[in-house]
Amino acid sequence: MSTSPLRAAMVPVTRRIRGYFAPIDRVSGTPTLFDPGKYGIFSLDEPPAPWIDLGWIDNFQRFCGTATEPVRAGVRGAPQAQFRGALDVRLEFDFREWGKLQMALAGGSEHMNVLASDINANPQPSGGTPIFAAAVLPGSTASEIVLGVGAVDGFSAGDIVAVDADYQQQTGYVGSGIAAAYVSDPADVNRDVNYIRRVTFNLGRVAQKTVTSLVLAQPLLGGAPLSQAGVQKVIAFVDREGGTFFQEWSALFVAEDEAGGRVCFHYPRLSPTTTLQASVPLNQVSAGSSKVFQREEEVEIAKPIMAVALHAAFQAMPHIDENDGQTVVCYRSYFPAAAAALY
Amino acid sequence: MQFAKDSFYMTLLQRLVALNPQRTVTLNGTTRPAIIVAENELVVPIVPLADAFYIEWGAVEAVARQTGRRMILAMECVISYHTFGTVESGVDRGRTLASLDMELLSICQPFWTPKQDYSQAPSVDLGTRIWWTAPSLGKVSGSEAARNEGLPRGSEGVRLERSANLKVFFFPEEDLQ
Repeated sequence: MSTSPLRAAMVPVTRRIRGYFAPIDRVSGTPTLFDPGKYGIFSLDEPPAPWIDLGWIDNFQRFCGTATEPVRAGVRGAPQAQFRGALDVRLEFDFREWGKLQMALAGGSEHMNVLASDINANPQPSGGTPIFAAAVLPGSTASEIVLGVGAVDGFSAGDIVAVDADYQQQTGYVGSGIAAAYVSDPADVNRDVNYIRRVTFNLGRVAQKTVTSLVLAQPLLGGAPLSQAGVQKVIAFVDREGGTFFQEWSALFVAEDEAGGRVCFHYPRLSPTTTLQASVPLNQVSAGSSKVFQREEEVEIAKPIMAVALHAAFQAMPHIDENDGQTVVCYRSYFPAAAAALY
Repeated sequence: MQFAKDSFYMTLLQRLVALNPQRTVTLNGTTRPAIIVAENELVVPIVPLADAFYIEWGAVEAVARQTGRRMILAMECVISYHTFGTVESGVDRGRTLASLDMELLSICQPFWTPKQDYSQAPSVDLGTRIWWTAPSLGKVSGSEAARNEGLPRGSEGVRLERSANLKVFFFPEEDLQ
């Protein structure tokens, strides 16, 4: 056992990891980039825009399946050079907090807002025919939705609302500001005028009402609502096993810097997966089964009381680093503690 | 933390009133439901009243591996009660204690309640719930029996008493950020 003293300031110390996600422009494929030089050691409670704080996460594990292969030559077949094989990088963790975005990322496909149903609607597992939307009026912002006198009466403080445009038979990505789903054919979504609000990330909880508007507890992720947008009450969230859409987000993970040095992991493009890596430790595999992907994890509070965590796994997708044209999938950055030695 | 304490007490009080409105005590000249938070009462040397539930709060700690934006706190709670029975001979004291046991188990279910701010009227919902473990009923112990002549638990004594232990869990306060 080594008895050499560690140089304390060079040892990153943490007890938890915090996750931040930011949308990717799905049409152009442009990710949100974390620039350590620009953002520095930001306050963990106030991430730089447009990063969204998804809270502390648990069981954070980064898997590298990218093999290095030697090029051998000579009579003895000694390695003369190396090259990197196919990029294969994944990560897994548990969201300890549940929310719209956490569920969407853990589920991986379209994530549905269950709109308040018309009382005569046929039952549907992701919500039936909803109550008509209230029209958003000019003057609305990301934090205050103007509906007008009378129209606000359909909502109460505490309600969750979806605020987005009517679906107008377009194809492609839908959702204001953030791509929430992809429509190939309007017939696939029954030409439903409410479809975008069924999937949108533009949600808010009504903190209070004025005579004409709804004041939201958190601003809409997509910013001020578009003209011709509508508002509908959301009762619950639903994700589904199946679906063809893949969420794709930029991600940043920060190891809380308790001893001064901060470590960040930045993935420009992450896509949810349920394929287990060969290197997953056996003790994380269900007893008596082949390797299976578990959707939820239970975290004991006091038997039999358990907290339920959302298990999420992602495949890292490639990004071209403009500084040198290299294809990379993730960045690990380190902010040394003040006065720490550098080597 | 006080919101959690108040919410637990008020919930058990309301449930007791609904379950057995006759379970009352007279304290400081006021007749009230027989559930009392010791730390909320006047500081006077007083013998606890019989046939009443006394709530006392204990240690508080953060629950391991539950550190979100707001940690989950666990607070120990002891609910104690005793009886002399309903007749002078005390022959029904075991049955009376059993009634108190069952009432306590009943009013603890369901094992959760909304966390409210009872410092204002009407109370305000703080947006989260508190929840607790099922109460663990401790041994029955008796007292006031003749010394050296008692049974191991002293249950031949005229006074029978029991303490129940549970843990109350809560988020320190509402968080919509």
